[in-house]
Amino acid sequence: MSSQEGGAVESGLNPAAPPASCCAVRDGDVLAVTIGATVPTGFEHTAAEEVKEKIGVDAQIGKDRGRIYFPITTDQLPQVHLLRSVDNLFVVVEEYDHYHFKESKEETLMEMMQLASKLPWTHALEVWKLNGKLKKRKGYRKGGNVTKVKSNSEVADATVDDAEQQKPPQAVSAAESQTEAESAAAMETSTTDSEEAEPAAKLLKFRVTCNRAGDRHSFSSNEAARDFGGAVQEFFQWKADMTKFDIEVLLNIHNEEMVIGIALTEESLHRRNISHFGPTTLRSTLCYGMLRLCKPQASDIILDPMCGTGAIPLEGAIEFNISFYIAGDNNDMAVNRTVNNVCHIQKRMAEKGGASGLPIDTVQWDLCNLPIRTGSVDIVVTDMPFGKRMGSRKKNWDLYPSCLREMARVCTPGTGKAALLTQDKKCFTKAISRMGGLWKRLHTVWVNVGGLHAGVYLLKRTGGVFGQTPEDVYESRGTVKARGDETGDKELS
Amino acid sequence: MKLLTHNMLTSHVKGVVNGYPLLIKATEVKVNEVDFNPQFVSRMIPKLEWSALVQAADDLGQREDLPGEPVPEYENNEEFLKKVHRVLLEVEVIEGFLQCPESGREFPISRGIPNMLLNDDEV
Repeated sequence: MSSQEGGAVESGLNPAAPPASCCAVRDGDVLAVTIGATVPTGFEHTAAEEVKEKIGVDAQIGKDRGRIYFPITTDQLPQVHLLRSVDNLFVVVEEYDHYHFKESKEETLMEMMQLASKLPWTHALEVWKLNGKLKKRKGYRKGGNVTKVKSNSEVADATVDDAEQQKPPQAVSAAESQTEAESAAAMETSTTDSEEAEPAAKLLKFRVTCNRAGDRHSFSSNEAARDFGGAVQEFFQWKADMTKFDIEVLLNIHNEEMVIGIALTEESLHRRNISHFGPTTLRSTLCYGMLRLCKPQASDIILDPMCGTGAIPLEGAIEFNISFYIAGDNNDMAVNRTVNNVCHIQKRMAEKGGASGLPIDTVQWDLCNLPIRTGSVDIVVTDMPFGKRMGSRKKNWDLYPSCLREMARVCTPGTGKAALLTQDKKCFTKAISRMGGLWKRLHTVWVNVGGLHAGVYLLKRTGGVFGQTPEDVYESRGTVKARGDETGDKELS
Repeated sequence: MKLLTHNMLTSHVKGVVNGYPLLIKATEVKVNEVDFNPQFVSRMIPKLEWSALVQAADDLGQREDLPGEPVPEYENNEEFLKKVHRVLLEVEVIEGFLQCPESGREFPISRGIPNMLLNDDEV
């Protein structure tokens, strides 16, 4: 089965289908492509910052929220997989800023079908192939990309790892490991044959996923996926399979903007650090975004007073390990799960050799009565109970003011900061408005958490000394909690 | 529980005025390897209650030759910083108790987690 071009480029594809691009690409060539990434809505800018910092390129923020695009050369692909703020990655086949969809549905869909054979698939497919090889290696994203140095050296030692059986991934679904095993099997042949020969005609399976937004389209996303998918199938002679696919083609339409891409990640690996889930575990990309907003500095003490399974402090301990994290919760299961998650990561680190201690500790405490010295914490980052899956709306009315005060007490006046995620915006805003002497509102990032519209409120601790602001004086006069009274009286006397 | 955390923890039992530092009684202590970052250590020193750190290390028999005061110009003294690093981040209490110096109330440490919850009547 020989390709019409020089090298073994379109291996696995039907050679009879004329390639859309006419430049020959050999394995090992470095290509320039555009990568698209989905990120938690609201954190597009922090993601772009991370891309600038780690890949060294400027990212464009897509018009549809939650997407950024940036140019890379294929040798940078391993670093792209190490980005902590992205949920999913894809390689762009083609992008249209102002695509003129026809008036009628029939014409539009017909045009889309014709597009399938004209798109520049070659480079994108090369990247997809290269990506498949990266995934096989131990330590690829799923297994853990904890120590950056280690990951890079693993990529360099490709030939050794290729022969090994991929260790089953430790997080989440069985479907993932199945797909991975299939593509691993497909790729294995080509790499052991020194990347020249074609694999024994493995029929590639694909599916098309279409996301459409805008009110002027004459067609639905299902129709576009169906028709475009049909044309793709015709062109490449791949087999359509909705669940066990090797290649996922993405069709993203946002008003006049249309982007066609090929997915580089399977199922979003949101919870990469967490092996012991709780009822409301926050996805790691969101944790990363919140931490990045706070700009942790060397030796900052960062507190999560209601840590749940420890997702936020753990992400910090791994990714912003110049600071120190204290995770706390009042719940037995929560603190145990946090410790389990920390141990799990430390074990992974130990297996790769090198130091396996993380800068994090876990304490069991009452967040309204923290056993922490006044003014000793630099940053508070936490996910506050939403009142839906955890806690209740009524409880939030009492909880929010008390914990905001306690957080203000432990935070260093003048320099302390907080990033607090909550869906109960009304309760939060009210509670904060009564604390102008202690907290100053900076900006808010609106995010989507499990379908709920929530906000990450960024706060700055004022220079006001705790216990001496006007609100303290008012509150200490016989209301609320006993401890509040005590502190108030003591400060006044 | 690392000694850096211990340095931040205080007793908050009702009525207690001097709840810091907590006394440590350990039945199981572990020493882990943690990556050394000199900048982290040198910036942390001014935030610490030094005497509490030394006392805690002493109580655990892990003080070694840590001085009673930080040495002058410690920012560039790698040897000194490594000693501090070890005591702050590498020594961990796995099982034992923390004790309020004023009330004597004990807070258990289990699996490295201190339980600082108070009973209703203590709040």
